[in-house]
Amino acid sequence: MPGSSSQPNPDAVVVEHLSKTFHIRHMKSLKRAMFGRGTAPTTPLLALDDVSFRIPHGQTVAVVGRNGSGKSTLLGIIARVYKPSKGSAAVFGPDSRRPRIAPLLALGAGFHRDLTGLENIEFYGAILGLTPREINEKRPQILAFAELEEKADTVIRGWNDGARLRLGFAIAVHTDPDLLLVDEVLAVGDESFQNKCYRLIDELQAAGKTILFVTHDLTVAERTAGRVLWINAGKLVMDGSPAEVLTAYRQSSEEPAP
Amino acid sequence: MLEELAELRRFHFLLGRLVVRELKVRYVNSVFGFVWSIVPPLLQVIVFTFLFRSVLHNPCRNYSAYVLCGLIPWTFLNSSTMDAGQSLIENYLVIRKVYIPREVIPLSVVIANFIHFALAWALYFTAFFGVARLIGIDLPVKPTLLYFPLITLVLVCFTVGLSLWVSALSMFYDDVRFILQTVFQLGFFIVPVVVPADLFRYTRLAQHHPGLYTLYMLNPITSVIDAYRKTILEPVPLGSFQMKGAPVELNWTLFAGAAGIAVFTLVGGYAYFNSRKWLFVERG
Repeated sequence: MPGSSSQPNPDAVVVEHLSKTFHIRHMKSLKRAMFGRGTAPTTPLLALDDVSFRIPHGQTVAVVGRNGSGKSTLLGIIARVYKPSKGSAAVFGPDSRRPRIAPLLALGAGFHRDLTGLENIEFYGAILGLTPREINEKRPQILAFAELEEKADTVIRGWNDGARLRLGFAIAVHTDPDLLLVDEVLAVGDESFQNKCYRLIDELQAAGKTILFVTHDLTVAERTAGRVLWINAGKLVMDGSPAEVLTAYRQSSEEPAP
Repeated sequence: MLEELAELRRFHFLLGRLVVRELKVRYVNSVFGFVWSIVPPLLQVIVFTFLFRSVLHNPCRNYSAYVLCGLIPWTFLNSSTMDAGQSLIENYLVIRKVYIPREVIPLSVVIANFIHFALAWALYFTAFFGVARLIGIDLPVKPTLLYFPLITLVLVCFTVGLSLWVSALSMFYDDVRFILQTVFQLGFFIVPVVVPADLFRYTRLAQHHPGLYTLYMLNPITSVIDAYRKTILEPVPLGSFQMKGAPVELNWTLFAGAAGIAVFTLVGGYAYFNSRKWLFVERG
């Protein structure tokens, strides 16, 4: 099964011949499920088509591609939210421990609006696999990074999107992840917070963490990533250095280079 | 399935947090908070007692003690199943983005409801076997009270199994919620929640077809309510509820059958949940 290993692996992420087909079912009621079997139309959607790559520990990889090209599906499979239809995707830690994957949830999807910031830290930390002691230790750092010390004991309901994003990001990166998955959420924070995030990503890179992120902002990919994967219609079109891949990608999408 | 259970154990801390969240969130915006888990059943008891004692002139003494033996387990089953059915939908954003063993979500809902259930029984015993004595109502403590944990275990198996089944089905079919609402509404009157199960035994239908009574008692919730009543309280006096015969002794064979069905529901529900859980996030 993905995500478990008995001995250290030189790669953090190993994706082999990965394909994912979604079956879009057009039946929503029991009546059609019971009496309409066989007649209910299902549209197969090939989201990923025979994708293979390896990411060594400590590399930062950006995934680019048009909307609907399969980028998020790829991250979802690596985060173990979806099961592969064919092939495999495995994550390994730098040692034989169970690897810790921290997916950055879009705008704090795991937050409950009727709980306070502190309560949400506890809960969200538990989702990401932190122990109670780890949560207690990290709480001050998380609040300081998110600049939310004053709001911490108020209910999230009243927070703005930016504040929620800051908390989600702060928790995810402070879980000490072996692999950080970022699905284009950083665009929401204000500029000073974005800069702070990039500084933190630099720090994580320096600490040898592996980062895989999806982005539409090619300058971010250029600045942050050491390698870029270009996915189009579920296929891995190009895999290489940012300069090389981004030039080709820009040409194909007829986007003028800055 | 063993692999899945080991995974569940690894996430027990998350399960605990989910239960706490469930309990906190339920009353967070209400002025009276936890009181709301006690007041509605209390009002139910008062209304039913008035109805049966004063309107229907039922001679059964301590009717409220009888009716609560039905209401407490019934409410646990009803709320757990209904809440579990919505739980995965409410947490859809989480399970779409991050890996957690998905069964922790419906399970946390059942556990939160179980805490209310346990609290209700604690109040029940304090009231009827403690406070009642002070005001001169003497309910004898029966040795069969020792069966209480066993009966509760059967109820928990049934509730967890049903909740897993319902929560998985609800991810694919919105109909499940409406079907359940109707089933629980009618079930309240068919299952012996406010009247003794013996009443069904003496209906003309069950007299002519004894198999129907067996079938009736094989429903785990029926058997559980009946067993709670007969192990905790004295049999209802002759003539109460206009029953056409003597109170029936607790039939352990039928109870064992119901327990078997409860365990089957649990194992089947868990297996079904596991077979479907990877498709939850792929519904179109």
